Amino acid sequence: MTTITPIVDDAREKGTGSWLRDNRTLLLLLPTLGLFLAFLLIPYLNMIVMSFRNPSTSQVFAPGFSAVNYIEAFFDEDLYYLQILWDTMIFGAGTTFLCLIIGYPVAYHLARTKSRYQSLLYAFVLSPLLVGVVVRCYGWIIILANQDGLINMTLRKYGVIETFIPLMYNTFGVGLGLVHIFLPFMILPLLGAIQSIDPALEEAAQSLGASRTKTMTRVVFPLSLPGVQAGTVLVFVLTISSYVIPILLGGLNVMIMSTLVVQQLIDAMLWPFGAALAFILSVTGAAAVYFYLKFTSRFMKGIA
Amino acid sequence: MTKLSINGLVKRFGDVAAVDSIDLEINDHELISLLGPSGCGKTTTLRCIAGFETPTAGNILFDTTDVVRLDPEKRNIGMVFQNYALFPHMTVHENLAFGLEMRGVTKTEMDGSIGKVLDTVQLTGLNDRYPNQLSGGQQQRVALARALVIEPSILLLDEPLANLDAKLREEMRFFIRHLQKRVGITTVYVTHDQAEAMVISDRIVVMFDGRIHQIGGPRDIYSRPVSREVADFIGLSNFIAAHVASGDGNGGYVLDSPLGQLRCAYAESLDDGQAATIMVRPEAIRLEPANPAASSSNSVPGKVLERFFLGNIQGYKISCENDTVLQVQAEPWTDFAVGDPLWCVFDVEKTWIIRD
Repeated sequence: MTTITPIVDDAREKGTGSWLRDNRTLLLLLPTLGLFLAFLLIPYLNMIVMSFRNPSTSQVFAPGFSAVNYIEAFFDEDLYYLQILWDTMIFGAGTTFLCLIIGYPVAYHLARTKSRYQSLLYAFVLSPLLVGVVVRCYGWIIILANQDGLINMTLRKYGVIETFIPLMYNTFGVGLGLVHIFLPFMILPLLGAIQSIDPALEEAAQSLGASRTKTMTRVVFPLSLPGVQAGTVLVFVLTISSYVIPILLGGLNVMIMSTLVVQQLIDAMLWPFGAALAFILSVTGAAAVYFYLKFTSRFMKGIA
Repeated sequence: MTKLSINGLVKRFGDVAAVDSIDLEINDHELISLLGPSGCGKTTTLRCIAGFETPTAGNILFDTTDVVRLDPEKRNIGMVFQNYALFPHMTVHENLAFGLEMRGVTKTEMDGSIGKVLDTVQLTGLNDRYPNQLSGGQQQRVALARALVIEPSILLLDEPLANLDAKLREEMRFFIRHLQKRVGITTVYVTHDQAEAMVISDRIVVMFDGRIHQIGGPRDIYSRPVSREVADFIGLSNFIAAHVASGDGNGGYVLDSPLGQLRCAYAESLDDGQAATIMVRPEAIRLEPANPAASSSNSVPGKVLERFFLGNIQGYKISCENDTVLQVQAEPWTDFAVGDPLWCVFDVEKTWIIRD
């Protein structure tokens, strides 16, 4: 009786059972894999194929394949498309940086507070996510609109200004909207990371003679790097691929890759070229994230 | 080096007084432990000394300087935390260098001091390891080294051995004691483990409910506890409710108890008729088949109720007069059977009185 159990164990260890039997837990991935395959991978591959098709003025695309769309995107005379790609990356980096410096103190406070209003504070952080992004953008439009927005009207009424201050349909408006809407995606990973830092480490630093500032820069921030990494990547990826916020708060004055792609697809009906631009954005974004992760991981030695 | 004085220290959290008016003097080179059950205020006291808690009242002097208003980083303390609190993103060397860096020590001096202190805690050669690459005992010694390398005025240890396994814990008791004697630093050691406190301390401060019940050497605390809580917390005791009958003429007292009249040693004055509790440690009781009737001891007749063997001890429960049961820890080779009649004999010197 006692010998039966080891035999079964041996069979498992040596993998003498069928492969599926040995890796049954992989079956749990099937629903997700199916979803990804049907709604992400296949459309994506379709997009890549589309990007290599020849453009046409009368149809969606002309027969045959070539790299003409990529040549157009990279070697346009005044580097129009590369400029927009660059602007998009800068926009992403800028939004990410602002979210980080605004979100970090909030996350730190939330992680360390002993206030009984902690859950209320949590709710405040999450509240922007409870309202649809379009609704929130219209909220900003009511406040920011250049002629009859709340701010401009008020300032004009009290004679502070005569015409208006341009608060939207420019980089400022779009940046404001992006930072506001993506802030929770920065705060939540930071919060998790900071909460997992033992408060005794801060006390240890102080007992060794470190001021509050030194404690933050030498102990808390380095240890929260996994959260910083997660939050920054999340906000960066969301920003460079965002469409609704830039189009509602920036119109066509603020041109970034996503608005450009939609313009090519919907307005110009240039599907192959639009697909090429979309693919370039994906690859550039992925490369940026890859090098960023590689770079930041060097500072995370010794952390779990 | 540094003498530590605490005067009238009070720390309230809301309505609760975690530390309720504590006075304590800790001499230069001395190691004292704050001993008590959890919630007795020992850790809060330590955190007030470190500066992590601001006292509600009272002052804390390092020699003659009141440090209550000083931030922790200005107090020049070395602290060892229960979970060591080593910086996980720094190597052993960087952990030790941290405090020196904050003090603006030069690189060469730094390497010198770190080498020396690593030698002291017997960790040479582990400079480049990260804390998660070290065993619990090694982490513990790094934490000690990190606290000592800055040459602090006071060393504070907050249950530093609580996370080690039993065997290592016992080794580390002696290690810390020898280290402290060699370095000669004034040390406050918080623990709830009485054996640890006894091994390690010059003096023990026993605390309950935010107050100090007793301060004294290990022997003093064990043999002459001032309160029932102290006697109960440290070791096993037999407690016998009694009344003072009279003085015994030698500075001790005779008490009326359910076991008859017992003579007790006690230095302080008691009134006749006053209620008191007699305390006898289980190992202070000898079991004899016949009454030796010696003048220097009390003898009480009884019967073996229960016996149990613990290897180094033969334990008995002896049923005596008036349903009083005495616990006895005898030498392992004594061999009385359940039901045997015998005499419990305990020296007057070892019969102690606790005031009610």
